[in-house]
Amino acid sequence: MGMYCVNDLYQQHGEKLGLDLVLGEEGIRRRIQVPEAHRPGLSLAGFLKDHSDKRILIFGRVEISYIRNLEPEERIERLQAILNDRTPAVIVARRCRLPKELRAECARLGIPLFRSSITTMSLLSKLILLLTEEFAPVINCHGTLVEVFGVGILIQGESSVGKSEAALGLIERGHRLISDDVVKIRRREANYLEGFGADLTRHHMEIRGIGIINVAHLYGAVCVRDHKCVDLVVKLEEWDEDHYYDRIGTEDKTCEILGIRVPFHVLPVKPGRDVVLLLETIALNHRLKQMGYHSAREFTSKLMDVLVPHNRKKRGASGNDARL
Amino acid sequence: MGTTLDSNKVTAKVRVKNDLGLHTRPATVIVKLLRNVKCEVTFTHKRETINAKSILSILMLAAKKNSHINIVAQGEGAQEAIDELVKAFDNKFGE
Repeated sequence: MGMYCVNDLYQQHGEKLGLDLVLGEEGIRRRIQVPEAHRPGLSLAGFLKDHSDKRILIFGRVEISYIRNLEPEERIERLQAILNDRTPAVIVARRCRLPKELRAECARLGIPLFRSSITTMSLLSKLILLLTEEFAPVINCHGTLVEVFGVGILIQGESSVGKSEAALGLIERGHRLISDDVVKIRRREANYLEGFGADLTRHHMEIRGIGIINVAHLYGAVCVRDHKCVDLVVKLEEWDEDHYYDRIGTEDKTCEILGIRVPFHVLPVKPGRDVVLLLETIALNHRLKQMGYHSAREFTSKLMDVLVPHNRKKRGASGNDARL
Repeated sequence: MGTTLDSNKVTAKVRVKNDLGLHTRPATVIVKLLRNVKCEVTFTHKRETINAKSILSILMLAAKKNSHINIVAQGEGAQEAIDELVKAFDNKFGE
């Protein structure tokens, strides 16, 4: 995460948060260091242990009426204790009238002071959600992200192994492209990975012998998507005669991206293997697994029933069906 | 200009000298140069790290004139790849 400043928040999300800048424009470039917002109730009351000055402060109706109940000198004293030149911003919710001491302190310290039209709780939850998204870790991945039957597949592999060609084949069959060559992946709070393309190269592909094409223009808006969660990673590699490829599929392999484990398949390619069809099959099989049906394990289980008949009786008695 | 970090990892910092920045022609030259190179080569520009063998990735950086790019090559032939790239950046990709 690079520098994210108050101005970025104001420009990108100001409308959603109902923000109006009251004063402190000189501090609008202050950096937001942590994706946190804080209602300074206890700190205002004088309890300053573990008070962090890196958070955006949100004053709700309670805080404002608490300040109003204090003597004017005490108001300044309490505000000075929680505001300093590192405070990123102060937001007063519910369009509450601003105490003049708060205005004066923010102006003195150059803290951007906003007024928001929405309620305190709604402002707090929206702000934390937006900041968490902005601060989510993002990586660049070399590969192609496509949506096949609703499943987000990240196709990886060496240069010129045929990732873009496979994606083009999938698009032609009605599936969707998210990004080719460079995929940005962000870890979302709900613990899933979201892939999207860079603004400049989004929906463009480079096909050797043709050049750069715009898929959205060629195939229409139905063939592209802006972002999609990464459900599967498929690595395409040249067929290696010496390598033993998975023939049964009972073991589920995974790989790790940004600390999240994602199902992983190695798909060897060679002339005669229809990669597009294989990718569609992987996607369908993944959907089936999500629905609780594991083809390979089901088959193994059936085989065991034939080989060791008393297993079946035991399983039947415990009410367990073919799923292992 | 290249600095060897360990046996097969080499880094270099280059400046884009072309007036139009890293546009399609220089990007094509880079990809051609790395076509038969076995090592992995990455470019880092403004906190974005990309695979230098992919033309769209290089173009995505939208590196303007005088911007700096950190190159990292790792694997077989890393030093040679870096030398070639540094030379290409220095002579403005023949422009």
